[in-house]
Amino acid sequence: MLYTKYLKMHMHSSFQYRANMAFIAITQALVNIGEVLGVWMLFLQFDSVGGWTFYQSLLMMGVIYTVFSFTECFARGYDEFPKLIKSGEFDRMLIRPVGIHYQIFGSKIEFTKLARMLLGIVLSVIALVNMNIDWNVWKVLVLIATYICGCSVIFGLFVLSAGISIYTVENLEFLNIFTNGSKEVAYYPINIYAKWLARFFTFVIPVACFNYLPLSFLTGTGSVPMWLCGVAPLFGMLFMIPCIIFFNLSLKRYKSTGT
Amino acid sequence: MASIIDFTDICKTFKVPERTKGKWSTFKNFFARKHKLIHALKNVTFEVEEGDIVGYIGPNGAGKSTTIKIMSGILTPTSGTCKINGLVPWKNRREFVKNIGVVFGQRSQLWWDVPVIDSFELLRDIYKIPKDEFDQTLKILDKALNLEDLLGRPLRQLSLGQKMKCELAGSLLHRPKILFLDEPTIGLDAVTKLAVRDFIKFINKEWHTTIILTTHDMSDIEALTNKIILIGKGQILYQGSFDNIKSKYSSAKTIEVEFSKDYDNVELDGYTVVSHNKKYATLKNLPSTEFHTKDFVNQITKKYEVVDFQVSSLSVDEILAKLYKEFELSER
Repeated sequence: MLYTKYLKMHMHSSFQYRANMAFIAITQALVNIGEVLGVWMLFLQFDSVGGWTFYQSLLMMGVIYTVFSFTECFARGYDEFPKLIKSGEFDRMLIRPVGIHYQIFGSKIEFTKLARMLLGIVLSVIALVNMNIDWNVWKVLVLIATYICGCSVIFGLFVLSAGISIYTVENLEFLNIFTNGSKEVAYYPINIYAKWLARFFTFVIPVACFNYLPLSFLTGTGSVPMWLCGVAPLFGMLFMIPCIIFFNLSLKRYKSTGT
Repeated sequence: MASIIDFTDICKTFKVPERTKGKWSTFKNFFARKHKLIHALKNVTFEVEEGDIVGYIGPNGAGKSTTIKIMSGILTPTSGTCKINGLVPWKNRREFVKNIGVVFGQRSQLWWDVPVIDSFELLRDIYKIPKDEFDQTLKILDKALNLEDLLGRPLRQLSLGQKMKCELAGSLLHRPKILFLDEPTIGLDAVTKLAVRDFIKFINKEWHTTIILTTHDMSDIEALTNKIILIGKGQILYQGSFDNIKSKYSSAKTIEVEFSKDYDNVELDGYTVVSHNKKYATLKNLPSTEFHTKDFVNQITKKYEVVDFQVSSLSVDEILAKLYKEFELSER
C-alpha cells in the first residue's frame, strides 16, 4: 500500500538523524513533564480546582497530550501546510494521480511526537487507576470515543488552519490561537473557565466533548445530563467534517489564484 | 500529425493585494485589502504537435510558468479553452496527470535523505506502474543517463548535474506522453549539459515524447527545439521555427578592421562606424546593405590600407536580446 511506503520513507529519513531525533523527543517530553509538575504544585496548595481533583485534571492532560501528539505525528502535513505551498511541494501534489488528502498525510510524518503521546498514555493510566471509577462497558466505550473525538477535533483544527492559510498566503500566527489555544484550554476540565469561554469550547470548537463532558460521565458528577455527556464525544467527531469541506473549497480557490 | 496540445484564447488574471504604506498599514491591509488585477496571460493561443520539442521562451515574468502551470493542471485559467492529450487539464485531474511529467529545474521531486531508488519506487507506487514495466523503463533510463552509481545514494550526496539526471529519470518513470521541463540545464557544467540535451533528444526519438521546455540558455533552443514560442508580457509574440528568426537577424554583421597605418577618419558607404581608434575600427552594415565579403573588400581597400579584418554575426543571445528589445520586453 502506498501509505506504508510513505511510512517507510519517513522512517528511513528520520533515522538518518537518530541522535537529533532522540534529543527532540526527550526535550519535548520534558517540557510536558514540567507542565504536569506545575499543575501538581497547584493542587498542593488547593485540594481541588473548580471541584476537580488532581487526578481528574491529570486525566485531562493525559488525553490532550495523547490526541494532540498523535494527530501532530500523522497529520503534520496539514499543520505545516503553508510550508508545503511555499516550497512548491503542493503544486507537485497536484500533478500526481493520487488524492490530495492522501498525499498531504504522506508528506510529513513526525515520529518524534510519539514520545509525547507515550507520556500522555502513561499519565492517563496513572490518573485512571487513581480515580476510583466504577467501570462498566459504557464507560469503557466513552473513554475510547473520547480519544478518537480528541484526534478528530485536533485534526479538524489543523485542516481548518491549512484551509485559511490558502487565503492568507502567510503563515499567520493568530491561527495558533485555535490549535494551541484549544490544547492549553484542555489541560483543565473546561467548566472552570468563564461561561462564554466554556460555551465557545463546547459548541464552536468542541474541546469539551473530549474533556469536561466525558469526564463527567466517567465520574458520574456534573450538571449536564449523563446521556448527553456520553454521546458528546460522538458529536465532537463531526467537527472535522465542515473543516474538510472548507479546505476543499479553499483548494478550488487555490487553483484559480495560484498564490 | 495531430496536435497534442491545443491552447485557445487562454487568459489568466490574478488578483493581487495592493499594500498601502504608513501607520497601521499591516492591520489595515489585513481587513480591507485593495486589489489590483494583473493580466498574466492575454489571449494565448498555440498548438503543439505530437513528438515536437518546443522551446518556450521569454524574459522573466513573461508568463512562462503560469502557462506551464495551466498546462499541467495546477491552475485553472480565467477564460479560454485548453485540450491536452484530449483532456482538459483542470478537469478530471487524476486521469490527466497520468500522462504528463514535469521537471521544475529549481525544485526537487525526490527525497533528500533516502537513496534515489527509494524515491523512484515511491513514484512507481504513486503511478501504479507494473513491476516489470518499471524495471524495463529504469533499465533504459539507466543506460541513457548512467544512473547506476547514483541510485543507491541519498539525494543530498549528489552533485547538481547528478541530481538533474535523477530528476529527469524520475519524471519519466511512468512514460508520460508529454514532458514539461522548466529550465532543465540551469547551473549545469558543459559536459552534463550536453548529456542532458542528448538524453532529451533520445527520449523524444525513442518514446515519441512531446517536450515543452522553458530555458534562458539559447544554445539549448538551438540544439534541441524544432519550434519556439516567444512570449512577452503575457502575449504570444512569435511562434514558428527558430531558423526563421535567425536568418532575419543574421544579415546584421559586425566587422573589425585593422589598418596598416593610422587614419584620422574612417567612412564607408553603407556602413556605420561603431568605434575607431587609430589603426583599428569596428563597422556595422546598415540594414539596407546586404553584406558580401567580396564587395566589402573591394570597397574598403580602395580607400584604406587594410592588414586584417574579421566578420561576425549576432550570437543567438544577442538575437534574442534584440527581439526582446524590439517587442519592448526588456525589464520594466
